[in-house]
Amino acid sequence: MIEPERAGAASSRPPVDAGPASPGERLLDVKGLVKHYGPVKAVRGIDFDIRKGEILGFLGPNGAGKSTTIRCVLDLLRPTAGQIRLFGLDPRHDGPAIRARLTYVPGELRLPERMTGSQLIETIGHLRGGFDATRRDELAARLKLDLSRRTRQLSTGNRRKLALMLAFLWPAELLILDEPTSGLDPLMQHEFVCLVREARDAGATVFLSSHVLSEVQRTADRVIVLRSGKIVAQGTVEELRGKARQRLEVWFDGPVPAGLDKVAGLADVTVEDHRATASVAGPIRPILAYLAAQPVSGLLVEEPDLEDAFLDLYEEQA
Amino acid sequence: MNARNLELVLGPVRAIMRAALIWAVCIAAIVFVTVAVWPAFKGNDSIDQAMNNLPSGVVQAFGLEGFGTPAGFLRGNLYDFFVPLLMAGAAVGFANSLTSSEEDGGRLEVILAQPVTRQAIFAGRVIAALVWVAVVTVVISIVQFGSDAVFDLQIGADRLLATLLLCGLLAGFTAGLSFAVAGLIGKPSIVLGVGLFVAVGGCIVAALFPLSSSLADFAHVSPWDWAFAGNPLSNATEAWRYLALGVPAVALAAFGVWAFGRRDVSAA
Repeated sequence: MIEPERAGAASSRPPVDAGPASPGERLLDVKGLVKHYGPVKAVRGIDFDIRKGEILGFLGPNGAGKSTTIRCVLDLLRPTAGQIRLFGLDPRHDGPAIRARLTYVPGELRLPERMTGSQLIETIGHLRGGFDATRRDELAARLKLDLSRRTRQLSTGNRRKLALMLAFLWPAELLILDEPTSGLDPLMQHEFVCLVREARDAGATVFLSSHVLSEVQRTADRVIVLRSGKIVAQGTVEELRGKARQRLEVWFDGPVPAGLDKVAGLADVTVEDHRATASVAGPIRPILAYLAAQPVSGLLVEEPDLEDAFLDLYEEQA
Repeated sequence: MNARNLELVLGPVRAIMRAALIWAVCIAAIVFVTVAVWPAFKGNDSIDQAMNNLPSGVVQAFGLEGFGTPAGFLRGNLYDFFVPLLMAGAAVGFANSLTSSEEDGGRLEVILAQPVTRQAIFAGRVIAALVWVAVVTVVISIVQFGSDAVFDLQIGADRLLATLLLCGLLAGFTAGLSFAVAGLIGKPSIVLGVGLFVAVGGCIVAALFPLSSSLADFAHVSPWDWAFAGNPLSNATEAWRYLALGVPAVALAAFGVWAFGRRDVSAA
C-alpha cells in the first residue's frame, strides 16, 4: 500500500497526456484504497478496476463508501492510503488532464442557484472549451427540461435532469454517475438508461453508482457491491444473480405434503392452503424428484434478480 | 487570459454582484447622508467646546478630536469606525460566500469536476472578491468626493484618497484572512467568525488599548492601528501603512489558494 503523498512524488509518474485508452484497457485502477474521516473508516482497502467500454455498477447501501470512493477518484478527497490511476494518470497531480476526459454527476446534487440551466451549461462550456448547441437542445428535449428557468426554481427531478445534461453533453471517455436517477420519474429513468446505452455504444465507459438495482441490472456489465467500506462481491450481473436463491412456488391438488420442509435444498418454506413457497438453497434435482411424486397442480420457479442477490449478500454478511 | 481563466473570475464576479452593489450603495448612502449634515457643523465653535468637555479618553477612543473641522468631522462620523468596519464586513462576506459557503453547500463540486485546477478555481474567487472590494472603494470614493463638493466640505483630496485607500486595503486584508481560513478549513462559520473577529476586535483594540498604559503597546497588533493610527485625514500617510495591509492581504490569499489545493473538499 502506497501513501498517496509519496506515490505522487515518485519519479515514475507518466507524462500528463497518457493518450486515449484502447479497447479492454484499464481506464481506472484502484489499489488498496483507504479513506478515513478521523475515527470513521469510510473505505477500508478496496481494489477494483474499470475497463474501457464497460458499464460498472457500484452498489451498496447508504454509508457503504460508494460516494467516498468516487470522490477520491475525482481528487475531491485525498485518500488516507492506496493508489488510484485514471487513464494511467494520477488524479492528485494530473487532475485537469483527467477531468477533461470524464464527466460527473454528483450524488448530493447542488447547483449554483441564481443561474438558469442555459447559463450553467455555458459556464461549464467555457471551462471545458465549448459545447455542441444542437446536442444541448436535443438533450433538453429528450429530458423535457426547460433551460430558461433558474436552478433554484427547478424541482429535485429537474435539477437531476440538468446534471444529467452536464454529463451527457460532452463526449467523455468516462462517465462517473453517482446516484444519477435519484428523484427522476420512471419515464426519465428509462430515458437515462437509453442515454447510458447510447454513450456505451459510442465508446464511453460508465461508472454507475446506484441504489436502483433494476437500473443497474438493465445497464451494467459488471457489478461491485460495497458494504462498510469493503467490497463484498463483484462479478457480472449474471454471476451475482446465480449466487442468489431461486424462489419456488408450488400448488397442490390437496393439502401441502407434511414432509415438504424436510426436503434437502429447500429453505424458508411457508404454507398457505394448497400453496407452498420456499427458496432453493441447494441443487434443484432432489426437490423436483420429491415433487414429481406429489399431487402437484402448478409449479413456478422464479429467476432471482439483482435485488435478491443483493439482499442475500447482505443477509450473509450480517 | 483565455476563456477558461476568464470564466473562473467572471463567474464569481457575477455571483456576488448583487450583494456587492447593495453593500456599495448602502455604505455610499451613509457617507452621503453624513456629509449632508456637515453644513450644520461647519464653523460651529460650540461643537468643539462640547467635545472638549468630554473625557479625553472618550474623545480619543471615538475619534472626536477636532470634530468641528472637516477632517475631524469625517473621522469621527465615518472613517474612525463605520466605513472601515462596514467595508471589512463586506469583504469577509464576499470571501465567505465565494468559497466556504459554496463548498459547504456542495455547489463547488460541479465546478471542481471540470478540467481546471482547484487552485485556479480558488484564485479566481480571490480575484473576484478583491475586484468587488475595489469597486466598493471606488463607489464610496466617488460619493465622498461628490458629497464634499455639494455640501462644501473642504478637505485635501490627497488625505481623503489616502484614507479611502487604507479603508480598501483594510477590507482587502480581512478578505485575505478569510480566504486563508477558507482555504485551510472551508467551514463558513469559522471563516465568518475569524474574519469578523479580526475586523471588530481589531477596531476595539485600536480604539481602546491606547487608553491603558499597560495595553497601549499591544494596540500595534491591530490592522486598524496600521491603517489609521497616523490619522490619515489630517496627516500624510507613511508608505509602510499601505504595505502593512496590502502585502499580508496578498500573502494570506495566496496561502488560502495553496491550502485549498491540499485538503479534502467537503461534500454537501
